[in-house]
Amino acid sequence: MTAAAPTVTPIVREMGEADRRNLRSARIRGAVIAALGLVCFAAASGSFGVIATFSFWLVKQGGEAFTIQTSVGMLWLLAGIASGVIGMVQMIKGPAFPWRKSLLILVPLYVAAIVAALLDGKVANMTNVFAGTLEYAVPVSLGAFAGILSERSGMLNIAIEGKFLIGACTAAICASIAFTATGSKEIGVIVGVLSAMLAGIGLGFLLAWLGIKHKVDQIIAGVVVNFGAIGITNFLFLRVLGNNPWLNTPPTIERIRIPVLAEIPVVGPLFFSGTPYLYFTLAVMLFLTYMLFRTRWGLRLRASGEKPSAAGTVGIDVIKIRYRAMLLAGALAGIAGSYLSLSTAGSFQLGMSAGKGFIALAAVIFGAWNPIGAFGAALVFGFSDAIQSLLSILGVDVPPQLLNSVPYLVTIIVVAGVVGRVRGPAAAGQPYDQG
Amino acid sequence: MKRLRRAIQPAIVPILAILSAFLVGSVFMFITDLENLAHFPTDPGGTIVAGIVNVGNAYYAMIIGAFGDPTRIIAAIGSNDPKVIAAAIRPLTETLVAATPLIFTGLAVAVAFRSGVFNIGVEGQFILGAMGATVAVLVFRGLPPPILLVVAIGAGTLTGAAWGFIPGFLKARTGAHEVITTIMLNYVAAQLVLFGLRSDFLRAPGSDAPVSKVLWTFVRVPLIFDLPAIRLHYGIVIALIMAAVVSWFIFKTTKGFELRAAGFNLHAARYAGMSAGGSIMLAMALSGGLAGLGGSFEVLGTAGQMTTDLSAGFGFNAIALALLAGNRPLGIVLAALLFGALRTGGGLMQVKTGIPLDLIVFIQALVIMFVAAPLLVRSIFRMNARPLDEGSTI
Amino acid sequence: MRLELKDITKRFPGVLANDRITITVDKGEVLGLLGENGAGKTTLMNILSGLYRPDSGEILIEGERRTFEDPRQAIAAGIGMVHQHFQLVPVFDVVESVALGSESVTGPLGTFDRKSARKRVVELSEQYGLNVDPDATIEDLPVGVRQRVEILKALYRKSDVLVLDEPSAVLTPAETEELFDIIRGLAEGGTSVIFITHKLGEVLEVADRITVLRRGAVAGTVNPKETTREQLAQLMVGRDVDLIVDKGPSKPGEVVLSLKDVFVMDDRFGMAVKGVTLDVRAGEIVAIAGVQGNGQTELVEAIVGLRTIDSGEMSIGGEAVHRASPRHIADLGVAHIPEDRIRDGLIAPMTISENYILNSYHRQPYSSRGVLDRKEIASHAAQGVQDFDIRTPSIETMAGSLSGGNQQKVVVAREFSRPLKLVVASQPTRGLDVGSIEYIHSQIVAQRDDSGAAILIVSTELDEVLAVGDRIAVMFGGRIIGILEGAEATREAVGLLMGGEG
Repeated sequence: MTAAAPTVTPIVREMGEADRRNLRSARIRGAVIAALGLVCFAAASGSFGVIATFSFWLVKQGGEAFTIQTSVGMLWLLAGIASGVIGMVQMIKGPAFPWRKSLLILVPLYVAAIVAALLDGKVANMTNVFAGTLEYAVPVSLGAFAGILSERSGMLNIAIEGKFLIGACTAAICASIAFTATGSKEIGVIVGVLSAMLAGIGLGFLLAWLGIKHKVDQIIAGVVVNFGAIGITNFLFLRVLGNNPWLNTPPTIERIRIPVLAEIPVVGPLFFSGTPYLYFTLAVMLFLTYMLFRTRWGLRLRASGEKPSAAGTVGIDVIKIRYRAMLLAGALAGIAGSYLSLSTAGSFQLGMSAGKGFIALAAVIFGAWNPIGAFGAALVFGFSDAIQSLLSILGVDVPPQLLNSVPYLVTIIVVAGVVGRVRGPAAAGQPYDQG
Repeated sequence: MKRLRRAIQPAIVPILAILSAFLVGSVFMFITDLENLAHFPTDPGGTIVAGIVNVGNAYYAMIIGAFGDPTRIIAAIGSNDPKVIAAAIRPLTETLVAATPLIFTGLAVAVAFRSGVFNIGVEGQFILGAMGATVAVLVFRGLPPPILLVVAIGAGTLTGAAWGFIPGFLKARTGAHEVITTIMLNYVAAQLVLFGLRSDFLRAPGSDAPVSKVLWTFVRVPLIFDLPAIRLHYGIVIALIMAAVVSWFIFKTTKGFELRAAGFNLHAARYAGMSAGGSIMLAMALSGGLAGLGGSFEVLGTAGQMTTDLSAGFGFNAIALALLAGNRPLGIVLAALLFGALRTGGGLMQVKTGIPLDLIVFIQALVIMFVAAPLLVRSIFRMNARPLDEGSTI
Repeated sequence: MRLELKDITKRFPGVLANDRITITVDKGEVLGLLGENGAGKTTLMNILSGLYRPDSGEILIEGERRTFEDPRQAIAAGIGMVHQHFQLVPVFDVVESVALGSESVTGPLGTFDRKSARKRVVELSEQYGLNVDPDATIEDLPVGVRQRVEILKALYRKSDVLVLDEPSAVLTPAETEELFDIIRGLAEGGTSVIFITHKLGEVLEVADRITVLRRGAVAGTVNPKETTREQLAQLMVGRDVDLIVDKGPSKPGEVVLSLKDVFVMDDRFGMAVKGVTLDVRAGEIVAIAGVQGNGQTELVEAIVGLRTIDSGEMSIGGEAVHRASPRHIADLGVAHIPEDRIRDGLIAPMTISENYILNSYHRQPYSSRGVLDRKEIASHAAQGVQDFDIRTPSIETMAGSLSGGNQQKVVVAREFSRPLKLVVASQPTRGLDVGSIEYIHSQIVAQRDDSGAAILIVSTELDEVLAVGDRIAVMFGGRIIGILEGAEATREAVGLLMGGEG
């Protein structure tokens, strides 16, 4: 009576192809990192005179600031030392070394050094940068949550961008109407958010219906919805909103300051005085993580996305689960869209989502289809966008087009580097025949 | 009879889809005609009639704007006056001018689709192709025009091919999903164009606008007719030739066979000895090259100088075309003519009735949705469900 | 409980899968449902388990008429199905897989009560001697254990009737014996068991009664103690069938395929093949026996160039082969009949003639200088269709619309249409009806005798291996643990090796 194969005596043999290849790439990697370290030292030697200043608002925007000052050379030096050490450890330890984790140390140091070098003495307000990061990350993570829900249930959802646009447009129009009709900002905002949510749900239903009932290829359906959304919103913007500007002046959402916590120096203005959307996003992140991995609902959802026949043959209604997931995803994406037009922008603009819907998809992959991971990924993308903003606002000597490209290039690098190491839901995108 | 039926069958669904889309578009036009609807409370019947008339006027304006008035054309040819002839045939030639880049980009998407890759980056490959041609013209401006033309178009094609190759390479080597990478590269391409057009070397002197120097000073794609204000150039001829070439390539060559096999079933293609990664990269490079070719002709034949909005909306149109045509080159030519007609006619419609061109995009989106859901169309029109034949889907 | 299926009829487009079938099972009885591939057994069981609805006929449980709209209702009625292709989520663990669909929950959010589920899994596992680790992840488990997880699924739901669809396909003979013990234990405990198989020997051993299906209808119901293999075979196929392939002795010549200490990695950073040394000579058939999952798939992929050899040497026709592409290996005169003809062997939306040239389109006469020659392709494909007796309306028919047997014939026609030194065939007769099986085997023997090719067959079917192999090699745990001469090999000897012993 055996439950597993009998133990096999290990064979001693010479290194095989795969081992040789891994060792070689590990050595090359180590050498490159160490070489970069030398470059850092070279950069450091010339720049000890240049001051790098990072400031943080203490209590609120525009008030007193708390600053950290160091020299650019010091930052390069740190980056160089880290590179050198990590490079050598990699070369010595070979393939066993977890080099991806070491990126968590290397990348921030390099970014700090490069940014400080570019700033060339100007003050970098980090609170603004982090605030910008969070602001960018909110819609991207909500979009990513939508993507995770859909894909984990087995549906590909690449129409997040379109839902953002439709959500933003709907929110702007309906909030404006409600505000004009009732004169109340709160009602206007609530109506705006709800209408965007409903629009998102509608689009989610459309996609689900096309993909499930009519077996339309889900990528094509997504592309079509995206372009359809661009077409409709452009059309509305030009034909309707241009002539009726009152339809596009929604009330904006105020930030909420959490009493006491918001007073904490440095951290307060950063984390505890955000818009309601930020708290909503965090709440959804935690809730979704719990639901996906600890509840029956989540178990069945994941089964539908990994191997729907396994769920179907025990009587689970895979189709219903997929529909519900798409509706919920649509709601989240619609709400994210409302964020775009109802918060700082203050109105709906042509194409205002600028690709965030696709970056949300990249966040899904980068975050390994896990809400917490996706939020982290969204922070990374948000940070790259915020740094780019900072540099262009401060008038750094880098072509603005290069800076603008940064988030997109980062996305490509992430998607190319990460995919293959993480596996998505195995059955995503494949239609399921239930009886 | 059966043979005729078989030949027409692939066209039935697209035609029905177009009709359905126009129907929905008409309703939309009716609903957003706010000035007319304002009269509804006082005169409902009249409002409806007026609304329908308005919609009808809009479509009439569209058709005349796309093809011209037949009686006018015949009369004009009889008159032998170049100005009169030009004015009469202008709508038709404009439609062909609009269709030219659509044929190129539609072919680009179709080649990719048939190989199993979604090339959503046609827009970026198109404008970078145009940039490549622009740069080549300005760098090699001393060459005699015929040679310069060939060099510039070649440069544009290669640029587009390279931009298409990148996501193909990433997919083959890392598995990175081409939908995300191609879309990201579209945004990067737009930035590259902006960057290039701000440089002194490329920019038109005298202003800060991101517009290039006038390329027609150095070379231009020859016009077909020497008539005033008629800008139909030989790009359309090359586009039609490319449609034939692509058709021949896909169905008659060994490489085309490989791409089709990979598009249907990558596993079996691998097992049969084909290089899966190679097919993906080749398909994306060819696709990008076709788009770049289109961009080169657009900038050297139609526009005359490089601007940032050279490729307005081609990405979507190309995908729509390919789907509508079932990825068949002949169908793409026909669909491109249709879309060209919509664009040209829509221009006149916008002038005459104020309905913005974006409604056209909306209608196109509907067309695609209907085409991509053949079962839906069939059930709407109560046709029997038939198994999808080879080539009618991706 | 007493279960009756009465006059069940089910039609699919173009085929009558079940034709007024009536079977009964009593409480605590083991019913063997015997029939060859395509006889309608799986369709019948899918109806029983609620996946399909019958066109006519009824299901009676304890005399009461029941209809199942979906699997949930069938499960609630006490039907537990263990499918031939396991329905387990690879990334779940055993507890999650067993509880899926019948999870117990606590709390307002519907939290999955993993603790109590795990407890029950452990209880059942011990009670029935299943010995499954509840926390293991499904994809890490060997196939034999996965089957036990499937059985646990049915027991977890308190099934009164357990349906096992071709369970021994993935087991060694020793594990099959264990399974029979489990089945007998279940039957004694009052659970009815329906045991579906196409293997005569098994059904004779474990069933209390045997119902034979042929071409969708019941061919007869017999008592295993009163019948013989021959009679069962008669009922099953309508004529005498003995899986003995008509072949003479082999005349082995030069070594064509030589493997020395070959190691091959699997998909998940482990080693699937751990040092295989094997020679296959021209004019002989070497059959590799072994249960699925012992490295055979990876070994075959390495031989035909789809997977790199991590270390060790391989030579084909005397020529050392290192990191060769599949095309290069094919050019050396190697044919490959893949395991999964739908996924790997054919391109379903392409025509028969296009599939015919799938791996030779780049050669004369099918193309020259990059351009395909349609006329040549058509004439060769037509010849192939005729030579291999492929039933199809035309060579322009889509390959996907052919029957399984004809599809395999297309693959064989394609591979055998050129001079070959080595044929590598994986599960060449899986899922085929008896007629096709005989045909494929005769073609393979013809290659051996007429063309003098070396043949390597990988098969999980012990009968096939014994019938077809001049020499039989057994793979276990990534290694070849025994090679027997065909004439001397017995079921018992090979079976022991398949299980890792002997």
